[in-house]
Amino acid sequence: MTRASTAPQAEPGREPPFLPRAHDFLGGLVRFALRYYIHVLLLAALVILSAVNANFRTSANFENILLQSSFAGIGAAGMTFLIIAGAFDLSVAGMLGACGIVLALLSPQLGGLPAAIVVVVLGMGLGFLNGLVVTRMRIPAFIATLGMMNVYLGVAFIATRGQVLPIDSELLMDLGTNSLLGFIPFPFLVMVAIYVAAAFLLRRTIFGRQVRAVGSSPNAARTAGIPVDRVRIAAFVLVGFCTGVAGVLLTGELSSANAIMATGYELSAIAIVVVGGTSLKGGSGTVSGSFTGALFFSVINNALNIFGVGAYWQYVISGVLLITAIGVQVVRGYVREEESARERAT
Amino acid sequence: MTAPEDVPGGGRSPSIVSYLQLFESAGILVLLAVVVLVASVITTGFFTYANLTNIAINAAIVAVTGLGMTFAIAAGGMDLSVGSLQALTAIVASALLHVTGIPVALLGALLVGGACGLLNGLLITRLQMPPFVATFGMMSILRGVSLLVTNGQSVMITGTPSYALINNGRVFGLPVPLVIVLVLWALLQLVLRHTPFGRHVCAIGGNAKAAVVSGIKVERTTLLVFAIVGLTAAISGVMLSAQLLIVDGTLGAGFELQTIAIAVLGGTSLAGGSGSLTGTLLASLLLATLSSALNIFKVAAFYQYLYLGILLVAALYLDTLRRSLIASSLLRRE
Repeated sequence: MTRASTAPQAEPGREPPFLPRAHDFLGGLVRFALRYYIHVLLLAALVILSAVNANFRTSANFENILLQSSFAGIGAAGMTFLIIAGAFDLSVAGMLGACGIVLALLSPQLGGLPAAIVVVVLGMGLGFLNGLVVTRMRIPAFIATLGMMNVYLGVAFIATRGQVLPIDSELLMDLGTNSLLGFIPFPFLVMVAIYVAAAFLLRRTIFGRQVRAVGSSPNAARTAGIPVDRVRIAAFVLVGFCTGVAGVLLTGELSSANAIMATGYELSAIAIVVVGGTSLKGGSGTVSGSFTGALFFSVINNALNIFGVGAYWQYVISGVLLITAIGVQVVRGYVREEESARERAT
Repeated sequence: MTAPEDVPGGGRSPSIVSYLQLFESAGILVLLAVVVLVASVITTGFFTYANLTNIAINAAIVAVTGLGMTFAIAAGGMDLSVGSLQALTAIVASALLHVTGIPVALLGALLVGGACGLLNGLLITRLQMPPFVATFGMMSILRGVSLLVTNGQSVMITGTPSYALINNGRVFGLPVPLVIVLVLWALLQLVLRHTPFGRHVCAIGGNAKAAVVSGIKVERTTLLVFAIVGLTAAISGVMLSAQLLIVDGTLGAGFELQTIAIAVLGGTSLAGGSGSLTGTLLASLLLATLSSALNIFKVAAFYQYLYLGILLVAALYLDTLRRSLIASSLLRRE
């Protein structure tokens, strides 16, 4: 199971749309940019924005960027696994709202930490439920989870009657807003920990290999004796875990919870994963790409705020970035095709 | 695997499939009858002329786009951007009404709808994106554009009282929205069942590779399908703006779910290859009746999220069961 085999397949007889020849300088540059484009983009954005804007290059702003990257970034870590396993979860916004609300309801009785643990377990339970709906009822993942999103949102609305629930747990608010050494926000630390664990899980464990196998060809994986459904369900549980953690942190940061606190969360998480280079066809992807993608989105949104561009632009930018990233994947597929053809020829 | 029931020319495939189809159409009608019966027995306000008209209008607004969505699903795709597009076209129509007359406003909305649909189609055919990802991105973009052009404010429709006739006017005693949806249904039914284009749509949804090999122009057909979805989203945008007479950028959230739900409930399989426009129409009526009944029972609006979600998952599960039933019956015959 090589990575090239799961890249978007170029149709035979069709020329790649805008690709220079491989051997010249420009061609080499394009190839480098395609492989590391998200890292290059992040670096370029940081350098340019720091150069042109004095408000951007303050340490308080960098702290803010790290903080804002962590909520969607944590969700994207789980989503990376799920997309590599060949599925999606569009219900995470509803799930996160439900988790936040349960946290706000439980924390006065249980105290901050136990409530947070219960909520993370709840997130895993909801992920498990999604996994069951997708694998046992055999409904395509994106449409099943779109339905489940409405179910979670509905339950969250009903539980709160549409109100905002405040929380008063010092611990949770500290967790959401305070920083280590004054400039590394706690949520970002959590995100780093989750990404390190995710990278280990994906690259160094049997489960990680199974996830990639299931994503690149479910039939081949089944034939090889991999419990395909169980691996998919586990990936959904991972998404639920990450969403639960993000729910705890976001509730702490806002010091309140409501049903629609995470509107658009599924789009941000999926866009981060795709921009980070994970193939939508499943089977291949990197955790570090998603990490960089999360930072990149946070930098872009931060810049939009600094330049006074309205929040509505963020919808447009997220959508455009998502579509562009998939375009890049298609071109990458052509490049791989071309390279492997050349390898065969020599 | 192609569900043979709705493929033109596949009508001779016998027994279990045709029974299944009968059961399905009848199933929706039976459900509809039950909901109507329960609602009219328990409440007093249900069987009034005003309420029935209201149900018909609400059903029509969803059904118009549902018919387009049925095409997209039959072609093996789907369009998640219809909710945002409904908002955008409603805004375009309302904004144009402030400067020009009704015909230009309608034309403007249809142009925007068709163009956005074409753009979806281009992303899917040229960039070879999975339809739901391309339209998912477009959903976000169009929502952002809708909010940007209105700056988050509402747009009132004033000064053109005749625009409201699109909602509350009557033709031969029937509400205009009902007439619109029936005309569109007849037209699309004709296209799907009796034109080469309709057969190509089902062929692509049934097996895209086979369609390519047999010389069907897959790209052009797909483009056209998504343009049709865009147009139907624009029509429902116009109808919605005529109903509300005040529009904003948040309209149509969750609309894509409703349209997919009625298409699937109506018997159009997500596997592609077939489409039942009549089923979509009936399912839209069921959904609107259910909503109206819940409103009369004063069930809070929040519950509507819940029941829509459960309904969608249940409908999809039925679709799965039906497919495995058909598959096993085909196996047995072999």
